[in-house]
Amino acid sequence: MGMIQSSIDALSGSVGLGKLDDLLGWARKYSIFQYPFITACCGMEYMSAACSHYDVDRFGAGLTRFSPRQADVLFVVGTITHKQAPYLLRVYQQICEPKWVVAFGACVIGGGPYENYAALQGIDKIIPVDLYIPGCPPRPEAVLDGLIKLQEKIQKAPHGRE
Amino acid sequence: MTGEFVIAIVKTIVAVSTLMTLAALLTWAERKQSAVMQDRIGANRAAILGFRAIGLFHIIADAIKMMTKEDFVPPFANRFIHSLAPFLAIFPAIVAFAAIPMGDTVTLFGHTVEMRLAPMNIGFLFIFAMASVTVYAIVLGGWSSNNRFAMLGAMRAAGQMISYELALGLAVVGSVMVYGTLDLMEIARAQTGLFAGFLPNWGIIYQPLGFLLLITASIAETKRAPFDIPEAESEIIGCFLEYSGMKFGMFFMAEFVTTVVVAGLVSTLYFGGYQVPYLMADGFHLPFGLFLVTPAALVPWLQFGAFWIKVVFFCWLLLTIRWTLPRFRYDQLMHLGWKILLPLALFNVAATGAWILAAA
Amino acid sequence: MSQHALDRLTDELGGALLDSCSEHGDETACIEPGHLHRAARFLRDDPELEMNMLVDVTAVDRLGRDSRFDIVYHLHSLGRGHRIRLKVQASDSGEAEIRTLTDLWKSAEWLEREVYDMFGVRFEGHPDLRRLLLYPEFEGHPLRKDYPIDKEQPRLPDLAGYPEVDYDASEDAARLLKGMQRTLSPRLNGTAGRNGKVLHGAEAGLRSPVASGTDSRGRTRNLFLDMGPSHPAMHGTIRISVELAGERIVDSDVDIGYLHRGFEKMCENRSYAQSIIFTDRLNYVSPIINNVGWSLAVEKLLGIEVPERAAALRVLMSEISRIADHLTCVAAHSMETGAFTAFLYLIEAREELYKLLERVCGGRVTLAYSRVGGVAADLPDRFEFHLARALAKTREMMADVVKLLDGNRIFQDRMVGVGAISPKDAISYGITGPFLRSTGVSYDVRKAAPYSGYEKYEFEVPVGQNGDNFDRYLVRMEEIRQSMRIIEQAIAKQPEGPIQSEDPSVNRPPKSEVYTSIEGLMHHFKRTMSGHGTAPPTSEAYGYVEGGNGELGFYLVSDGSDTAYRAHCRAPCFAPMSALSSLIEGLTIADVIPTFGTVNMIGGELDR
Ligand code: SF4
Repeated sequence: MGMIQSSIDALSGSVGLGKLDDLLGWARKYSIFQYPFITACCGMEYMSAACSHYDVDRFGAGLTRFSPRQADVLFVVGTITHKQAPYLLRVYQQICEPKWVVAFGACVIGGGPYENYAALQGIDKIIPVDLYIPGCPPRPEAVLDGLIKLQEKIQKAPHGRE
Repeated sequence: MTGEFVIAIVKTIVAVSTLMTLAALLTWAERKQSAVMQDRIGANRAAILGFRAIGLFHIIADAIKMMTKEDFVPPFANRFIHSLAPFLAIFPAIVAFAAIPMGDTVTLFGHTVEMRLAPMNIGFLFIFAMASVTVYAIVLGGWSSNNRFAMLGAMRAAGQMISYELALGLAVVGSVMVYGTLDLMEIARAQTGLFAGFLPNWGIIYQPLGFLLLITASIAETKRAPFDIPEAESEIIGCFLEYSGMKFGMFFMAEFVTTVVVAGLVSTLYFGGYQVPYLMADGFHLPFGLFLVTPAALVPWLQFGAFWIKVVFFCWLLLTIRWTLPRFRYDQLMHLGWKILLPLALFNVAATGAWILAAA
Repeated sequence: MSQHALDRLTDELGGALLDSCSEHGDETACIEPGHLHRAARFLRDDPELEMNMLVDVTAVDRLGRDSRFDIVYHLHSLGRGHRIRLKVQASDSGEAEIRTLTDLWKSAEWLEREVYDMFGVRFEGHPDLRRLLLYPEFEGHPLRKDYPIDKEQPRLPDLAGYPEVDYDASEDAARLLKGMQRTLSPRLNGTAGRNGKVLHGAEAGLRSPVASGTDSRGRTRNLFLDMGPSHPAMHGTIRISVELAGERIVDSDVDIGYLHRGFEKMCENRSYAQSIIFTDRLNYVSPIINNVGWSLAVEKLLGIEVPERAAALRVLMSEISRIADHLTCVAAHSMETGAFTAFLYLIEAREELYKLLERVCGGRVTLAYSRVGGVAADLPDRFEFHLARALAKTREMMADVVKLLDGNRIFQDRMVGVGAISPKDAISYGITGPFLRSTGVSYDVRKAAPYSGYEKYEFEVPVGQNGDNFDRYLVRMEEIRQSMRIIEQAIAKQPEGPIQSEDPSVNRPPKSEVYTSIEGLMHHFKRTMSGHGTAPPTSEAYGYVEGGNGELGFYLVSDGSDTAYRAHCRAPCFAPMSALSSLIEGLTIADVIPTFGTVNMIGGELDR
């Protein structure tokens, strides 16, 4: 391990980025494989953001992996109902470390307009959330803004010390 | 002896690094190519020291991220086989490249060096043997994951690859008959000169059907769209779905390495390999009696370059096909393999035989 | 015109017909519960009536009455255009009092299951009476008036997935696994024991699929596979459990309800105007059509008409929405068959339409454009110019997609002849819209019962022949072209005038007045204050429009207040989804994807 560590250190020195943390942060923020957990209307705007016009691939977040093992960021998009909740938890648990969770839209953040018996009042009741993108649904611009903020957060995370 | 050893090592390093770089670049090319075809910009944000290099650094980011991602082995899975499979996938793909000539012989520091990793006279057989090892990688990977979707994908892959290997093998038999050798270097050499006075004397002229068959079967063999049935994301999520991090990355890379190998094979068999059109040992013999002198020392390197340009072109072609066509269904795939490609390949063999007899 | 049906039924039933009435143009017959089946069979088989489609089944909870529930059936004759509503009463005894209609119409199976799920009414002789939308652990029936709207029944404890919380996932998993299996049909979950097969459920990963390849006697076993609810092709909201012999599907069960968000309960607790935002979220791909459908249903209750310009704008905007809907559907199923590029082209075209909608409504997806009594906003300046550009872009992208797909041999092989259904079955399942038209039945609400002045526009109703996936694709593509025709006519002959009805029950002061005068402000305030909104007279009505997927109906019951006593949505994609299981039987697993794609399931309206 020591050798890998030192060689990564050396590499990070050579690309002029300084510390290992920075390097890992840099790599992870520009290589975001998403797992889209799409259920409802917000998916329409997620689609818009992912497609040609707004193109999240510019930020290195274009690749979707439908296997949680290969994903880095869980995008929870659209209302999560109580019926759905266990599946969301399961997918979350299956994602390999390091992982981040984005709550996309009012429903995921806090139930949205559905303050009733069926909807889960915010996914942060069952899984930890790293980033909230508000809106019902959020505009694609808001999604891009959220993505950039997520990248900042990933950059700052304590990578080397896991 | 030592000299040869050193040369072998140098050759290996050069060839494997070119191969791997090309494969890595292909991942980038695939992203950019699809972006262009789909009116997008594609990845371009990752920068080093302010340079964006049209998104090239995203490859580095991907690689570092995958290497540092949690390595997951599913519970109840067979740990050894699970870890073995990705190596089984990428290793034969790289090794298969050894049989493909990248250029003619050059003389370096008094040694005659053949621009090919492993001089062997059974080039074809070697490549096909290696290709069939890949089947094990996928089957073992899918089976050891202990997941129904992966299992289904693995079964699909096994069926697909075994069926198409047949067509693949028969497609090149035509070429073997024409050139009377299994040695790819010999075949490339035979494609020098001109045909009918103005066309480069390439294999495609003798084996047009063989070319179409080979390219179809080899796309199927590499499991790329429209033959990406084992990986069909929207159906069964794919046979590697229990692989994370770099192990998944290796499967991913194996696909691209195979693409390069296929491109190399196609250019060697049908497009003159390293031959540059009209270039002889002493210079360019253009039609209408034009002649351009080229320094003899430069010729092998021009050929080396020509080979890689052809490879890049075919890689590009394969990518374009990938982004244009929808996916086959399993039974349609089998139908195409057994009922169309196989008879056509047999016909090609028979026709070639008849032609050779008639010519003799 | 449906009076005739009522008369014939009166003759037939005699004393078993308790009451009949005609309200807002809808004929209703109240029937003795024991005679329902006879009445329904008569209506279906009578050569003069031929009510071949059971459009909808729902219930109304009249809390406090002896026989607490009204079960409401809507029947329709496609050939003759008659419609009739049947009502029977049921009590809260928990006994199966009403005979099922599943033997008459296939659509009854899911519709009755939904009524059971939501109200707890049992149907005698129903082959498979399970919960449809909610999960098995759920206690009670949410649409009963005594079920509190905010009474949640979580399946997971709070903070379940947080590492610092001591939470035993395995115990929960075991409990949930049981629940998940119970949501499956008894055929598949092993309790019925067909050939002694047992489904391992969603936790398949815990058991080795390889070890179960053969049973104790060495015979090969079939593979059970759960697709969804989080599966790339299932749009996140349904789960298809299939039994596979190799790649062939031997049996399957479709489990829905993962997006059940309590639409109907919400509408029964909000004013008619407020409910419009929930209709946006039914079919979120074509929200304006839902807005229009709801507004028309409420206007039917009120007995008012909207001004001509408002109607024209509704048509215009509905058709833009319809194009977006069809584009998305075609895009999604082409992506799922692997044609990713076609998907992006179509979404690019949709993007232009979204921008267009944004110019008018101020939003992109959830628009709330049509209001009770009119529309929210008039067209902005230079709208014609932007519209022309967006349509040109759509045409261009469609031409590209036609080149990519129509003649493509692989695409045809995947679509032609796959997932076919006969017109007879389609009608029996209650299927409408492009799906029904692909089988050759030319039924389109815009032609059969024109609303908002659709009779003034020239357009054709494309029909297919085989009812397979390819025909559904072609019908949708052609409908996009026809919608563009309607749009062009609508924009050419826009009538002048107000966009909001002046009727005192619905009129709203213009915003300029609200912000500048005290009278305007008070007027606005009164309109929006709860208890003072639009309050239709005590009555009921079924209003329907042509949605993106077929007949979109709203059945409203008013008790004279400004909140609906009962609001029910007849979702267009509900019927084809109930047919999905039979559509995919015998096909391969790869065929599920395009078949499911052309059904165009929209979670919001399916699960409501
Ligand atoms: S936040 Fe709004 S748009 Fe998003 S899923 Fe919820 S209701 Fe739909």
